Amino acid sequence: MNGKKGKIWEENVIIETITRLMVPFIQIYALYVMVGTEGAGGGFQGGVVFAASIVLFTVTFGISKGRKRLPESWNAALNSLGLYLYAGVGLLCIVLSLGAAQYLNYAALPLSQIMSPAHTRALMISDVVEVGIGLTVMSIFASIFFDLAWKGEGKKNKDKNKGDKEVQE
Amino acid sequence: MIDWSFGGGIFIAKYNYWISILLMLIGFYAMIAKGNLLKKVIGLNIFQTAIILFFVSLGDATLGSWGKGVTEPIVKGALPWAAGGIVEHGVVYANPLPHVLMLTAIVVGAATTAVALALIIRMYEEYGTIEEEEIIEKERELGV
Amino acid sequence: MIIPLDLILLFFLVLIAIAAISVRDLLAAIILLGAYSFVIATVYVEMHSVDVGFTEAAVGAGAITAFMIAALARTKREASD
Repeated sequence: MNGKKGKIWEENVIIETITRLMVPFIQIYALYVMVGTEGAGGGFQGGVVFAASIVLFTVTFGISKGRKRLPESWNAALNSLGLYLYAGVGLLCIVLSLGAAQYLNYAALPLSQIMSPAHTRALMISDVVEVGIGLTVMSIFASIFFDLAWKGEGKKNKDKNKGDKEVQE
Repeated sequence: MIDWSFGGGIFIAKYNYWISILLMLIGFYAMIAKGNLLKKVIGLNIFQTAIILFFVSLGDATLGSWGKGVTEPIVKGALPWAAGGIVEHGVVYANPLPHVLMLTAIVVGAATTAVALALIIRMYEEYGTIEEEEIIEKERELGV
Repeated sequence: MIIPLDLILLFFLVLIAIAAISVRDLLAAIILLGAYSFVIATVYVEMHSVDVGFTEAAVGAGAITAFMIAALARTKREASD
């Protein structure tokens, strides 16, 4: 689980195969929790479950491969994208109604030809905003895990090396 | 149905509160008496879940009864407060307000734990140990 | 709530909490904390608060356990008390 070259554990075919099988299903379940149901709620939980799939992948295949799947630059992009999605939908309500509606007043969005205001509200709350929250939470939790697990390659002292030798087995 | 309010009802019918206080004391003991810093964080987590258990017990409308006609606060159709109160068609809903408060508490707890773990890792890099007494001893040697 | 199930779960809750803070091996303590989170998530669901139970199962048993094991990989495994 640390950032040394190579792996400090043996490759295990069973664990790797099961991880490869499990990760897509965990991610689909996370998306279901995020956007699958009508009504508000579920963005945070779905994001955490999505991050759990990345953590599972990282624990199985090592931190360098896990970082390759979710690079550090993506982290910064994804968590600001989620924030902008949430705040942007709110601002869109003000801008598109020319200042008549309040911030996050979804019924003011000009979708009345396609669907009723109640449906617009439900779509915005349960899909767009939840995806924004979920993206932010997913990237932040994965980032916290990587930062806690990854031992920097810069300064290495005796205590650190002694520490991870004891954890290895 | 057993009448739990009879006699020492506060001891028997409200057993959730006593368990919650017991867990709180276990977590508090770990935070104070254990020397290992990671153990202290584990105690912090137990303390936090004990408080959440207390609040969820407050929201459960039927603590001490056998749970007849009680459901989760998920409503199909008309909103229950339109009829005045949380009782409609003979169904009692659990109070959802403490649940929402405790969702925020769980999220904040996760963030607190992550910060505490980062500080523990930093202290281990500095002192080479995560035992409280050894850290104090090393600080005394260094004359801090 | 179902009172016998509630009492059994709360009894195991106290048992696991005492075990988690008194075991010497820190990896065992962390895994016991994950088990504690699962049991208390069951208690929440059984007390009709499904959203708190689901969040506790995702965050407490999933994310916090992973964070703690990640932190343990960079520190020492055994504790003095």
